[in-house]
Amino acid sequence: MRFDLKVALRYLLSNRLQSALLIGGVAVAVTVFTFNAALINGLAEFQIDRVVGSSAHVTIEPAQLRPAVLPARDNTDRLTASQVTLERREQIKQWRSVERTINTLPGVTGVSYNILGTGLVSRGQQTLPVTIKGVEPSRLAAIAPIDRNIVAGDARLGLNDVLIGRKLAENLGIRIGQPFFITSDQGRERTLTVRGLYATGIDSLDARLAYVNLDTARVMFDLPEGLSEIEIKLADIYVARQVAEQLAESTGLEATAWMDKNQNLRQALEGQGSSGNIIKMFTLITIVVGVASALLLTTFRRRPEIGIMRSFGISQRFVLSVFMIQGALIGVLGSLVGCILGFGFSTLLANISTGSGRTLPVDPSLGQYDVALLLAAAASIAAALWPARAASRIDPVEAISQ
Amino acid sequence: MINPAFTPSSDDLALLEVKDLRKVFIDRDFQTPVLKGVNFTLQKAEMVALLGPSGSGKSTLLTILGTLMRPSSGSFNMLGRELTTLKEKELSNFRNQEIGFIFQYHHLLPDFTALENVMFPHAGRLWRETRVGRERAAMLLDRVGLKDRMNYQATRLSGGQKQRVAIARALMNQPALVLADEPTGNLDRENADQVFDLMTEIQRETGTTFLLSTHDRELAERCQRRIYIESGVVVDQPVPRERTISAPRTGLRVIDGDAPSVVDRTSTTDRDLQRRA
Ligand SMILES: Nc1ncnc2c1ncn2[C@@H]1O[C@H](COP(=O)(O)OP(=O)(O)OP(=O)(O)O)[C@@H](O)[C@H]1O
Ligand SMILES: [Mg+2]
Repeated sequence: MRFDLKVALRYLLSNRLQSALLIGGVAVAVTVFTFNAALINGLAEFQIDRVVGSSAHVTIEPAQLRPAVLPARDNTDRLTASQVTLERREQIKQWRSVERTINTLPGVTGVSYNILGTGLVSRGQQTLPVTIKGVEPSRLAAIAPIDRNIVAGDARLGLNDVLIGRKLAENLGIRIGQPFFITSDQGRERTLTVRGLYATGIDSLDARLAYVNLDTARVMFDLPEGLSEIEIKLADIYVARQVAEQLAESTGLEATAWMDKNQNLRQALEGQGSSGNIIKMFTLITIVVGVASALLLTTFRRRPEIGIMRSFGISQRFVLSVFMIQGALIGVLGSLVGCILGFGFSTLLANISTGSGRTLPVDPSLGQYDVALLLAAAASIAAALWPARAASRIDPVEAISQ
Repeated sequence: MINPAFTPSSDDLALLEVKDLRKVFIDRDFQTPVLKGVNFTLQKAEMVALLGPSGSGKSTLLTILGTLMRPSSGSFNMLGRELTTLKEKELSNFRNQEIGFIFQYHHLLPDFTALENVMFPHAGRLWRETRVGRERAAMLLDRVGLKDRMNYQATRLSGGQKQRVAIARALMNQPALVLADEPTGNLDRENADQVFDLMTEIQRETGTTFLLSTHDRELAERCQRRIYIESGVVVDQPVPRERTISAPRTGLRVIDGDAPSVVDRTSTTDRDLQRRA
């Protein structure tokens, strides 16, 4: 065994209570760190799952019309005008070639070719605006798991069928098999039959969306050939941006990844992430302050001993090393214990919350134990630096004559 | 026992040469001159007592010779190396190999056993314990009569035992010079005699040079040579100590009765040496 390690161990063991308290302190800080990570990351995962589970990972839309720049007369500033034209409807015309491109992409788990539009549903005296989504019946569940969330009726989409959310059905007071009067934004009226009701738990789907057959939508929205969007689901949601960029490049259309489509989610995640980081930072500061002050006290208490070592020619580097090793041992042991406690605590809470029905979205597997271990050990070593330097610079004469 | 075949080599007898060594303690704008030009030489394998009244600068001198403190001016040369010009790291290394310290207080490391304390200077230099180091430490502890206390925690030894461990520790790296600052000052008469005898024997066996400060004239007498220091300079003979006997009104002064005999003997030796030189 290295002799500096032996001396460091002897010092830690000689004051067991202080060492235990120090290791305990680091452990508590690391427990907070890992539990915090498990909670914040678990929450993020939960939120992402909810969004990503029922929406597209990459959405392809027609390229937006660039506002035309109007020529300016002399002596005037240039004006930019955006023209909203009703005649030139945005659509993806060449979608067959896009389909071929998508088919060559790896990691695609589902594609849906959609026509989107708005319409007004009337029922008795009521009129409600709804979003209508025309999909190929075979790809109904490619993006949102509608088929698994059917609560009444079934998920077959015939040419005259419509699937609506349970909320919307409640609002309209409509039931399975009843007629559904709809006027599209293109002025087409149509009477469909309510074929099934779904409840996904997501309001935007359950209260405002209606699924129809793609061919029905073509008629309702006057799009005999084109599409209004293509939705893609990926095996790995975190490559969505790359895939989107790649698709935008090769098709010239607008492709957006889920994280850019859901600004709210992104902001929420960023907010949670940074508040989590502040907590983590404080746990590290706690470690540094605790370890530094305790070790500084130790160096002070051991002044005469260190002085005597220096008097028989033990190098400053050796003394430095003895104290750095103490810091490192405290850090590593403390964070190991902390990781175990953090995992245990997260697991306990994750289980308790599921038991009582309400779920605390703690994910013990996302505790960032490796990061915690590394940072806590680094913090302890950094904290030991100052006391260790102080120890190595003790003047033997002063220390001995004390 | 430690090195029974040792005989001092006659070709180069000088171990330490001290020339015009001065030390002034400076505390803000307050200056305390303590050593005011100290000159002397130590030969190899000598046992020399350093005597002088309290506050005369004995501890200061030993601290400087032990390279723990730098002098204000002057030089001292040991084994052909000028130590005043060495850097801190070199001094530390030199100290480790060539100098052993014994203090009035044993200064053992309380968390280590007797054996570990003795090994420390060796293991600390190599950053690891070695079998050779362990064997030498055990041999030294055996030599100072602590064979059965080797694995005792330092705190569980008696005062005299601790000081004997300290002696063994000072000898661990086979230094050329052992500096002892009142090594028996904390011990009772019987223990002091034992420890002193031990040092003398080991000194003879190993041929190590010992320079020890003491107030104990009886022990000083048993050294081969004595150096007197008086308010910061080395003097040929001690100024007889003046003692005030309990007669405060008259302030009658009586010359210390012990002093003259000591003075006579040493001063002659010193003068003889000087004449020969
Ligand atoms: N760090 C210091 N700063 C100022 N003065 C000091 C310092 N160290 C020692 N002195 C002074 O130097 C003088 C000599 O001290 P030193 O300890 O060398 O004496 P000594 O001969 O060992 O005395 P004693 O026999 O009592 O041990 C004393 O007057 C003391 O006050
Ligand atoms: Mg002294």
